[in-house]
Amino acid sequence: MSDRAGKTLSERVGALRPNPVVNTGLSLAPFVVAFALAMVVDTVVGPLVGATWTEILLDVGIAILLAGSLNVVNGYAGQFSLGHAGFMLLGGYAAAWLTFYGSMKFFGTWEPVGGFLGSGQLLFLGGCMLGGLVAAVFGVVVGLPSLRLRGDYLAIVTLGFGEIARVLGQITARQPKNVEQVAERSWWDLADNLGGAEGFSQIPNYTRLFFVYLFVFILLILAYRLKYSSKGRALLAVRENEIAAEAMGIDTTRAKVSAFVMSAFFAGIGGALYAHRVGVLKPTELGFQKSIDLVIIVVIGGMGSITGVVLGAAILVILPELFREFSEYRMIAYALALVAVMLLRPQGIMGVKELWETSWWRKGVARLRGGKRGGA
Amino acid sequence: MTGASSGAGHPALETRALSLSFGGLKAVSEFSLAVPVGGLCGLIGPNGAGKTTVFNLLTGVYRPDEGEVLLGGVRVDGRKPSYIARCGMARTFQNIRLFGELSVLDNVMTAGGVRTRSGLFRTLLRTPLHVAEERALAERALALLDVLGIAHRRDEQAKSLPYGDQRRLEIARALATEPRVLLLDEPVAGMNTQEKRAMRALIQSLREQFGVSILLIEHDMGLVMEICEQITVIDHGVTIARGAPAQIQNDPAVIEAYLGVPDDAAAAAGPEGAA
Repeated sequence: MSDRAGKTLSERVGALRPNPVVNTGLSLAPFVVAFALAMVVDTVVGPLVGATWTEILLDVGIAILLAGSLNVVNGYAGQFSLGHAGFMLLGGYAAAWLTFYGSMKFFGTWEPVGGFLGSGQLLFLGGCMLGGLVAAVFGVVVGLPSLRLRGDYLAIVTLGFGEIARVLGQITARQPKNVEQVAERSWWDLADNLGGAEGFSQIPNYTRLFFVYLFVFILLILAYRLKYSSKGRALLAVRENEIAAEAMGIDTTRAKVSAFVMSAFFAGIGGALYAHRVGVLKPTELGFQKSIDLVIIVVIGGMGSITGVVLGAAILVILPELFREFSEYRMIAYALALVAVMLLRPQGIMGVKELWETSWWRKGVARLRGGKRGGA
Repeated sequence: MTGASSGAGHPALETRALSLSFGGLKAVSEFSLAVPVGGLCGLIGPNGAGKTTVFNLLTGVYRPDEGEVLLGGVRVDGRKPSYIARCGMARTFQNIRLFGELSVLDNVMTAGGVRTRSGLFRTLLRTPLHVAEERALAERALALLDVLGIAHRRDEQAKSLPYGDQRRLEIARALATEPRVLLLDEPVAGMNTQEKRAMRALIQSLREQFGVSILLIEHDMGLVMEICEQITVIDHGVTIARGAPAQIQNDPAVIEAYLGVPDDAAAAAGPEGAA
C-alpha cells in the first residue's frame, strides 16, 4: 500500500480507467431515469393528488430548483449570495421573450400550442435553455468582480445586483400584444419590450409537472456528482478555509466563479419555469424578498446538503398552505416555525450531511438488513 | 557538511534578498536561502522573528517588496498561492488550518484534486478520465493516510481529531499536492516526547519516500539540531546566522538573540563575540 503513496496521480490513472461502455451507461442512466420519473410525476402522481396539490407540487419543484442551485454557491462554497432572485428574473425574461414573441410570430397566438413535446413545448424548452444561458452569462459578469470579496461585502454586492435587475426590469418598454405589431418588428427590436413595471404578461402556460421535475432531477444529479468530486470538494474547501484551500493549489476565485455560474444557470431555468407557470413576470415579485426566501430554504434545510434543501423547499412551500385556514395568522406561524428550527437546529434540518449519511438512516438500513437475514 | 552547494541544476528552492515591510516595520529584510534538492533545512528564530512571514512570502500569501523566489530555478514570486502550490510548493500551518467539517479522507483527496485534469463538464458527465482520477485520488489519499499512521481515522471529521493527528493530517494533505518542496511550520508544536520522536522519524523518511526537499520552522531545538543539514537563524527579520547545526549552536549572535545578553556580562562577552 505505502509504495503507492510515492506514486503521482497521473501514474495511477491509466490503470484505473473504467470500462468505457459500462461507464457511458452509468453516466447516462440517471438522466434516463430522471426523464422516466418526471413522466411518472406528470402522468401518475399529478392526477392522483388532484388539482390543488398539483399546484403545490409545481411550487415545490420550482423552489427545489432555485434553492438547490443557490445551495451550490451558498452551501458548498459558503459564499453568501443575496441576489439569486435577480438571476431568476433574468432567466424568466429571456425565456418569456422567446416564447411570447416566438408564439406570436410562429403560431399567431400567445396561447400554448401543440401536444406533448410538440412545437410549442419545444419552443418553451428552448426558452428555458436561453433563460439559463442568459443568467449564466450574468453570473460571470457579476461573479468575476464580486467573488473576490468575502462575507458581508459579497452579500451586499449580490443584493445590489438583484436590485439592479429588478429596477432594469421595471424600466423596460411596453409589451406589444397583437400579432401584427409583433410581426413587423425584429427580435432584437423587441428585446427591450419586457412589459416594464406592470410585468411581462400573457406568457404561455407551458410549465407542467413534467418539465419542472425533469429539471429538478437533472439538477439533483448534477449537484450530487459535483459534491462528490474534486471540483465539489474544492468548493467545500473554500467554505471551510479559504487560505488553506488556496495553499493547496485551489484557485479559489475560479472555483467560486464556476459555482456561481452553474448556480445562475439553474436559477435562470427556475425563473423560466416560474414565468411560464404564473403567466405574468413582475419584477417587483422577484426582488430582495424572494432572494431572502431562497436563502431561508437553504439555511433551514442545511447548507450544503442536497437532501436538506429538498426537504427545506418542500416544508417551506407546504407549511404556509397547511396554515391557510388560519388566514392572517399563518405568516406568524410560519415565522415562529423558522425561529423554532433555528433555535433547535441552528445547522439546519440536515446540517451538512445527506440523508444517507445520518446516523438514524444508517441504523435503519442496518436493522432492515438484520431483519432480512433473520427471516432467511 | 552545509550541503548548500547544489551541484548540477538548480536548488529545489532558492530565495534572493527577499524583503517585506508592513508600513514602517521591516518584517523581513534581505532574506536569502537555498534548499538543495533532497535537502532538509531549518529556519529558526525567537518568537516574532518573522519565520512564518517568510513562509507566507514563499507561498505567495504576501508579495515581497523586493527579491526573488525560485522554485527549481523558476521564478514564482508575485504569483497567487494556488499557482505556486501547483508549481510544487506545499505547506503546513502553524495554527492548524484543516477543512474541519470534511472527513479526514476528503481533506487529503481535496488537496490531491489539484492534480486532476478533468474540468466541470467531465465531472458532471462522469467521463472515464474523471472516474479513473477519482479512484486514483482515493487510493493515493488512503496510501498517504497509511504512511502518516492515521488511516484508521479516515471517516472522522478532521476537526474531531486529536491535536497530534491533526498535524499529521496537515502533512498528508500537503503531500497529496505532489510537492517538490515541503514547508513545515512547527510540526511538533504541542507534542509530547514520544510523539516528537515518531514525527522526527517520519519527517526524515518523507524525503526518500516522496523525493521532497524540506524547509522546517521549529522551536524544538533538539529536533532541529538533529535532523537539519543546514540552519538559518533570523531575528527581527534579519538573517543573523547560517550554517551546520554545530556552528549555529555556538554562534554568539544566535545565543544573544535567544537568551539576550546580561547587562554586567555584556562588556565581558562583547570582545569574544566580535571575534
